[in-house]
Amino acid sequence: MSDSAETIAARPSSTATRAGNGQFRRSLVGGPVTALPAVVIGLAILAFAPAYYTHLALAAFVNLIIVVGLQVFMGNSNIANLGHSAFVGIGAYGVAVLSTPLAMKKLSIPNAPFGLAFVELNPFIAAVLALLVVAVLAAISGKIISRLSGVAATIVSLALLIIVHSVFLNWTDLFKGNQAFFGIPKVINLPAMLVASVAVIVIARLFKDSRWGLQLRASAQSPQAAAAFGIDAKRLRLMAWVLSALICGLAGVLFAYFAGTISPKLFYFQQIFITLAMLILGGMATVTGAVTGVIVLSIGLEFIRSIESGVTIAGIQLPQLLGLSGVALGVVIVLCMAFRPGGISGRLELDEQLSRLFRRNVR
Amino acid sequence: MLSVEAVSKTFGGVQALRQASLSCATGEILGLIGPNGAGKSTLVNAISGVLRPDTGSVKLADRDLTGRGPEECARAGIARTFQNIRLFKELTVRQNVEVAHITCRDVRPDAADRIDIDRLLAHYELDVAADVPAGTLSYGSQRRLEIARALALGPSLLLLDEPAAGLNETESETLAEAIEAIRRDFGCAIIVIDHDLRFINRLCGRLCVMDQGKVIASGDTEEVWRDPRVIEVYVGQTS
Repeated sequence: MSDSAETIAARPSSTATRAGNGQFRRSLVGGPVTALPAVVIGLAILAFAPAYYTHLALAAFVNLIIVVGLQVFMGNSNIANLGHSAFVGIGAYGVAVLSTPLAMKKLSIPNAPFGLAFVELNPFIAAVLALLVVAVLAAISGKIISRLSGVAATIVSLALLIIVHSVFLNWTDLFKGNQAFFGIPKVINLPAMLVASVAVIVIARLFKDSRWGLQLRASAQSPQAAAAFGIDAKRLRLMAWVLSALICGLAGVLFAYFAGTISPKLFYFQQIFITLAMLILGGMATVTGAVTGVIVLSIGLEFIRSIESGVTIAGIQLPQLLGLSGVALGVVIVLCMAFRPGGISGRLELDEQLSRLFRRNVR
Repeated sequence: MLSVEAVSKTFGGVQALRQASLSCATGEILGLIGPNGAGKSTLVNAISGVLRPDTGSVKLADRDLTGRGPEECARAGIARTFQNIRLFKELTVRQNVEVAHITCRDVRPDAADRIDIDRLLAHYELDVAADVPAGTLSYGSQRRLEIARALALGPSLLLLDEPAAGLNETESETLAEAIEAIRRDFGCAIIVIDHDLRFINRLCGRLCVMDQGKVIASGDTEEVWRDPRVIEVYVGQTS
């Protein structure tokens, strides 16, 4: 301990509040920096790529928003979540039921309950209402999840996914069951998707760096010590769960509005695993990790899909390798868990890595 | 400041605490000693809200905290360190301290204003490592961080659970000086548990000796060491 004569507790100061504001500003700057790689790729596709790639990019940005939403809960609470696609589905079906034109509804869900067959809302209002439904269901399920920890919470999240999926499949009057729900207004294009992605990334950064994010991360690392320092971990887990669900719900809304057609199987295990693999690969401790994982795996999987169907390289015809992308996804999770559990980006956000690099170079 | 009255606790037939009572005043350093399994840690857990006592009461400045849970005890102003270090390992050193300071700002803003995190870190020689993950610190630094974090809560009662464990003689000498400085600067009540009797005798004006869940003696340090029951416990243990 230093033997300085000055006492530690002597000077009244407001460094605490100043530090708080500084942190807020840092995350406001850090968020867009974190989003930068995704934005650059998005703009490049917008400017140069053919329409087919635009469609792929839209799907990838939906995944990006889901993975960022997943990071908000998993990254801060350190509890694996296998149910987030339930909220993506609720968001998507919410706007599908509320905003699809009446003429289309007459064909697809003529017998919808609560008079919903005769409702055609403005897409924006429909989105707000769908997210409201997501928030209510997240608050109810979160009440249960936040009381649990570790494996128990994960199993409940999985149960939630299965319940929601069953409802989509079997409440045919409202959701059209197994068949595709079509005719949803296509109101989202790539620029709108980019804006939404950046907003979501900034929100995730603000939450992570906020006092609640910090407290939640502390409680994930030592529940006993967190309690001994006055942290109410349950409340914080609930908060992160609802925010995460809202972001995933937004991803569902955006998906429905660009694809125009949805079906229940889109919001099930395949989506769960692909987004989970992205987050694990990128590194779930940071929002940067979420972005990195989505970029690397989206490009990687697209490449694998292109050789899956059998290509000709230097005159040699390769055989069809159907299912290769599924295998690759599993391999990515296994290798990453075994050799780099922190993922590609590790502990630091992109802006933190950059400022560290910059400082080192200055020295 | 702190008054614990007739606290008992049974774990599956084993009586860990039997009618244990103690008190600790503001500005006092109380040593809590006794052989292994005497119930010291159980008593500390009852004070910090980790355990709900079967009977008896725990009061801090006339506020009843019996069985209120660790979060509420922390908010009431009880800070502690852990025998087996429990830092937030992946958070940075500064963030560890900030977590405690956030709670302090919520419940006692005036106390929080008096605590300067930069100075606190500098005082405990943690300023150079402020931005590294706490888990990567050396053992001695981790012990210092435990104390710095507890102080950032602006406590009115500080519980130090074996702070000198694993330290050599010079290090525990420095630690004793630091704890004395805390008493002076923060004016809080301090309870120290330790097995290093030389460290305890040097530091504590008053002792509380436990054996088999009971408080067998308490009072001024010199007086306590003249108590035949204390001599029996300690001599009996060493022979």
